[in-house]
Amino acid sequence: MSNKAARNLFIIGSLFFFVIFLVLTFDTMGKLDKRAPVITEEVNAGKMTWHKYDCIGCHTIFGNGSYFAPDLTKTAENKPKGYLKQFLMDPKAVNAKAAMPKFGISAQEADHLIAFLEWTSKVDTNGWPPKPILAAAAGVGGKELSAGQRVYQAQGCTNCHMINGIGGTTGPDLTKVGSRRDRKWLHEHFEEPQKVVPNSAMPGYKHLGDQALNDLTEYMLTLK
Amino acid sequence: MTIKYESQKIAQHFYTFAVLLFLVQVLVGIIAAIQFIKPDVFILNFNIIRSLHINALVVWLLVGFMGVTYYVISDESDTELWSLPLAKFQFWATVVTITLVVLGYIWMGISPQANSPINGINPLNEGREYIEAPRWADYLIVVSVLLFLLNCFMTVLKTKKWTGIQGVLLGGLVFLALMYLPGLFYTKSMVKDQFWWWWVVHLWVEGSWEIIAGALLAFMLMKTTGAKREVLEKWMYIEVGLVLFTGILGTGHHYYWIGTPKYWLWVGGIFSSLEPIPLLLMVWDAFRTTREARNVTNRPGLFYTVAHAIFNFVGAGLWGIIHTLPQVNKWTHGTQVTTAHGHLAFYGAYVLLVISMIYVTLPSIRGVKEYNPSRAYLSFWWMTISMVFIVLTITGAGMVQTYMERLMGLDYVAVKTTYNLWFWILRAIFGVGFLIGVGIFVVDFFKLGKEPMPVVSPAPEKA
Repeated sequence: MSNKAARNLFIIGSLFFFVIFLVLTFDTMGKLDKRAPVITEEVNAGKMTWHKYDCIGCHTIFGNGSYFAPDLTKTAENKPKGYLKQFLMDPKAVNAKAAMPKFGISAQEADHLIAFLEWTSKVDTNGWPPKPILAAAAGVGGKELSAGQRVYQAQGCTNCHMINGIGGTTGPDLTKVGSRRDRKWLHEHFEEPQKVVPNSAMPGYKHLGDQALNDLTEYMLTLK
Repeated sequence: MTIKYESQKIAQHFYTFAVLLFLVQVLVGIIAAIQFIKPDVFILNFNIIRSLHINALVVWLLVGFMGVTYYVISDESDTELWSLPLAKFQFWATVVTITLVVLGYIWMGISPQANSPINGINPLNEGREYIEAPRWADYLIVVSVLLFLLNCFMTVLKTKKWTGIQGVLLGGLVFLALMYLPGLFYTKSMVKDQFWWWWVVHLWVEGSWEIIAGALLAFMLMKTTGAKREVLEKWMYIEVGLVLFTGILGTGHHYYWIGTPKYWLWVGGIFSSLEPIPLLLMVWDAFRTTREARNVTNRPGLFYTVAHAIFNFVGAGLWGIIHTLPQVNKWTHGTQVTTAHGHLAFYGAYVLLVISMIYVTLPSIRGVKEYNPSRAYLSFWWMTISMVFIVLTITGAGMVQTYMERLMGLDYVAVKTTYNLWFWILRAIFGVGFLIGVGIFVVDFFKLGKEPMPVVSPAPEKA
């Protein structure tokens, strides 16, 4: 191949692939809005707040960012809103071990951020992040779950709390909760956490009814 | 070794600024590494430190490219630069802009509310990875780059001696400048935000920057070995051609999980898997040329050139391909595996590229025939061995994270603070090793050619 032929191949070939890329980009742009919920003013204000505090300087979203703090794509799906709001405004007051500093995020900004994160959690991401294989398998294989364990799973308690190393770190570890708390305390706490723990960011679960809360309490008492 | 034209000396201004920013980049990198172990160890939070770490990197590489280009364009066009005062002005304007941006980041780090929007625009930090620089700085950077390109093109037009090397180099730089534009507008959708953001980031590092690397590789091989231009330029065209044939559609490997249609899984998977091929070709090119070299005039320059080609392939190519298929990426996306790839790719492809160019051109700028290469080799081994281990520790952390968080379902924070702790500690230790290497390089940069040669020249290292 002569130099001139190599040069022409480089130029024409590159233009060819760039044109294909442009066509795909055009097609993608037409499809993106259908794959995500409508962007309200609140969602946009949340995105602006996201940029203002340079959240991506620590977190990732859709898996892109700084890998220093958790990915937030599905956070709004997994954590209660009340918890998120309190945490955003003063992280260490909610979870003393939290690495996140207090930035001075206002109540309104926190609401906006939560609206933004609710939006991202509903975007069609082709199934990312995938459901963990082993955790999913542990829930269905082997022995039957107790009634309390089923409530624990159905309510997504594991998103914030940890039992035997599995689960979130934002709420207290429950591995030995049965030896720390009694039946009365647990039940009252489930109904209205703030009654027994004044600063708690956990939502109340009174709406589940007595039976479910009794089952859950029984389960907690087995954790010793 | 002497320069042909006086105005080529301007490259040294850019090198000095680049080298100092490199030192800053590595210093804040060590703070960031310690913050992985103890988050509130420093007055500035991790997000600011990380912005400084990656922005210093991008800027010193770009500034390095500019210095290098002024040198190459004058050399290839056989004439003085069109306007030396303009080049100097453009240099100082860049320094001032970058300094203001850095001060803005630090201000925001101390007082986060200082970045509150003015007319809907964040004044100190755009809050977008790699392109954090605020909008006003974007415009100043665009002006600086336009002045730079104008100066280059007017220089070429003086003699109209278009060579392949400078054609591809300038083409890569124009492509680079154009790909800054998709990062300059706001979109309400985070999906579209990331879509255009990748145009900038991917089409820079896996597009235009590799074009520049291909052109400079040919230039450096020609200068250090005296190899024939025709052969080098032919392979250069094939290499940079393959870079774009695979790299443009390879952008698709960033469009798997951000809310974009599913066909990107096919497009990105296939084309990005081919991206290492041109990088392998560059390695072969470097070895073939070196083997045939009869008359090596600058051994450290050639040594760094070959090392750049090898680590470009290993870092950008191999560490990229391991997680580029959607089936794998589904599990590794957003984990430390990406960080490991980022570190080795930037080091191999671009850090070593700019350092190579410095070693190839600086002796002639300083007008020295021969210089003591011992510090050049010493800093190479300190930096390279440290970086390889940094990358291995982060790769290990990424594998643990992928398995425990993604497959087993353990919490992110639990994996980071407990199971990966020792990886962070080792990474920080190797980071200090890297800093030692950079320190030796910085000393060598400032002293090169300014001290007498030792009486007994050191044993030649293999190149």
